Amino acid sequence: MNGALVAAMLVLGLGVIVVRRRSAAIALIAAQSLVLGVGALGLASGRSSDYLVASLVLLTKAALLPALLLVVVRRTREPRLVAPAAPALVRLAGAGAVALATTALVPPLGLGDAQTEQTAVALVLIGIAIVVARRPAFMQLLGLIVAENGLSLLAVSVPGGLSYVVELGALFDLALVVTVAVAFTQRIHLELGTGDTELLRGLRD
Amino acid sequence: MTELVGLLAAVVPALPLACAALLQVTRTPGQADRLNLAAAVATAATALVLAAAVLAHDDGAPLRGERYLVDGASAVFLALIAIVGLCSALMSPVYLRTAGRSWFSAGRSRHRYYAALYAFWAALLAVPIAGNLAVAWLLVEATTAASALLIAFTGARQALEAGWKYLVLTTLGLSVALLGIVVLALALSRAGHRGLSALDWHALEASAAGLPQEVLLVAFVLILAGLATKIGWAPVHNWLPDAHSEAPAPISALLSAALLPTVVLVAWRVKQTLDAGVGGATAGGLFLGFGLASVIVAVPFLWRSLPWKRLLAYSSLEHMGIVALGIGFGTPLAIAGVVIHVAGHGLAKALGFYAALPLLRSDPDAAHRAPRSVLAASRPTAVAMGVSLGALGGLPPSPLFVSELLILLGGVAAGETAVVAVAAVALALGFLGLLHAFLEGVIGEPGERRRHARHRSERPIAVMTAALSAGMLALAVAGLLLPGSAFVDTLVRGVL
Repeated sequence: MNGALVAAMLVLGLGVIVVRRRSAAIALIAAQSLVLGVGALGLASGRSSDYLVASLVLLTKAALLPALLLVVVRRTREPRLVAPAAPALVRLAGAGAVALATTALVPPLGLGDAQTEQTAVALVLIGIAIVVARRPAFMQLLGLIVAENGLSLLAVSVPGGLSYVVELGALFDLALVVTVAVAFTQRIHLELGTGDTELLRGLRD
Repeated sequence: MTELVGLLAAVVPALPLACAALLQVTRTPGQADRLNLAAAVATAATALVLAAAVLAHDDGAPLRGERYLVDGASAVFLALIAIVGLCSALMSPVYLRTAGRSWFSAGRSRHRYYAALYAFWAALLAVPIAGNLAVAWLLVEATTAASALLIAFTGARQALEAGWKYLVLTTLGLSVALLGIVVLALALSRAGHRGLSALDWHALEASAAGLPQEVLLVAFVLILAGLATKIGWAPVHNWLPDAHSEAPAPISALLSAALLPTVVLVAWRVKQTLDAGVGGATAGGLFLGFGLASVIVAVPFLWRSLPWKRLLAYSSLEHMGIVALGIGFGTPLAIAGVVIHVAGHGLAKALGFYAALPLLRSDPDAAHRAPRSVLAASRPTAVAMGVSLGALGGLPPSPLFVSELLILLGGVAAGETAVVAVAAVALALGFLGLLHAFLEGVIGEPGERRRHARHRSERPIAVMTAALSAGMLALAVAGLLLPGSAFVDTLVRGVL
């Protein structure tokens, strides 16, 4: 995939760990998913028609997912911004360190394109970092999507494309998980009056 | 035979999905419960017929179709999922009759419960017959959505916490596993093996030796680490005690006795198929690491006075660790032990969770503290808890006594004496912890009288105790016959 598109995906992923407003985070996720879809479509020439279908599904996801997320934001108004677990700069530094460590530590995976390999793995780890560093359930859900976009980046870059069955199946599973996560987000908000998962810490031994 | 197996392989996961849809159009709770009974029996019977057909074919030798692969391991896991699923479905009306609040509206909560239960069961049944690594991953991921809803079914704050933790952690873990699968697909692609079929279990086993070892090792570690999150192996087990303790009891039984072993089967198949490329010692070493860590981490919690379902959850951590040790040793004795252990643990653990239904009905506070003198309050509940604890502790004639012995002897045969020694000490300590729970929680103070009025949920637990105890005794006998059998040889040979 084009190097600029790959770099853009990384920057957009890092943005999700920094921004405070949920609508801004959705915009970043939408842009990242769009970049992924466009990049996949660019690779479609010379590959099977199944791959083209998978690329179009990725583009559809880029349109539908943000719409669903915006509906959730409208239904779960936060009375006030959830206090962050750490300042934005600290979160960014942590995620940046994860990305840099990935560059240094990930061995060649056989793609022949080190930038794509490292960015894909970095995005999975940044997704995990978002889940760890962000307190709102909604932001943790976005962390799952960033990790999934990282996986999709590597999957579409496999020579000849990963089987469309796997790509579409993984997207279907993502849709299922996101739907359930959205239901959880709304229910948590209903129960606690906020999406702050810091308040969900009653189970300890 | 192949045509019958192919047909059943398609029907087994499709039937519970159809039942889930049918259950949505029932009009009364009684109607839903009656249809649930018929659906559960039909689903379990179909799965058991498939398992029997596979076992009857050449000592469980692999049978393949375009989309499925069934072998002796598939048969054992299918039978276990069928039986535990059947028991959980039969115990569900008992839970639903006495369930208080629910996430869903009162009118629809039963429908939603059954829909999620049957969807979860369908995905579980499909995993052992999936002939492909990527498809198995998709099915394991599919279990997450349905089971997360079931864990948080009550909608209470702690159930939401458990469900959310489970959803997020296992999804992230499975993302890491998928990363490993994509890395593996990359290596296969460069070696000329493209498309979905390159990830078929038998194709993987045939091609693994020709792949670059470094990349294969990265893929193996990522896949195993990701699956470990879903299995609940230490140190990535954080969701397990919360989910098992907060879910409705029939769902806790499915999670512990069916879901965890099912994902272990996927991990076992990954080891079997990639062994030649990764190196048997490295692959086995990773399993031993997860196994030892899980057994050791579980022991201190088995010594604590925990709420009943939480205690059972930590016992699951211990037993999945023992299964990992058996797979890591990889000798025929250890593999015979693994098969018996998975089945015996499933029956014993399911019984333990079902006992929570009458326990929490007569003593609701036991959801948040260790049970006290259950024998004085309800003899059938105490017997069920005692049988479950005795079996899980490995007290003869429990099948887990036989299986743990086989696994440890298999470890000695593999030359892993130090690992065996540490595991044996940890198992002995774990047994003492469960014995303490039995004496304190189930027997209690001598002479204490705290008789409660008989509850309707006591009769089902008495029937379950009798049925599952008989199953465990049969397994113990099977465990004595299994070592040296052609069935174990077939399991050790793998999927080719």
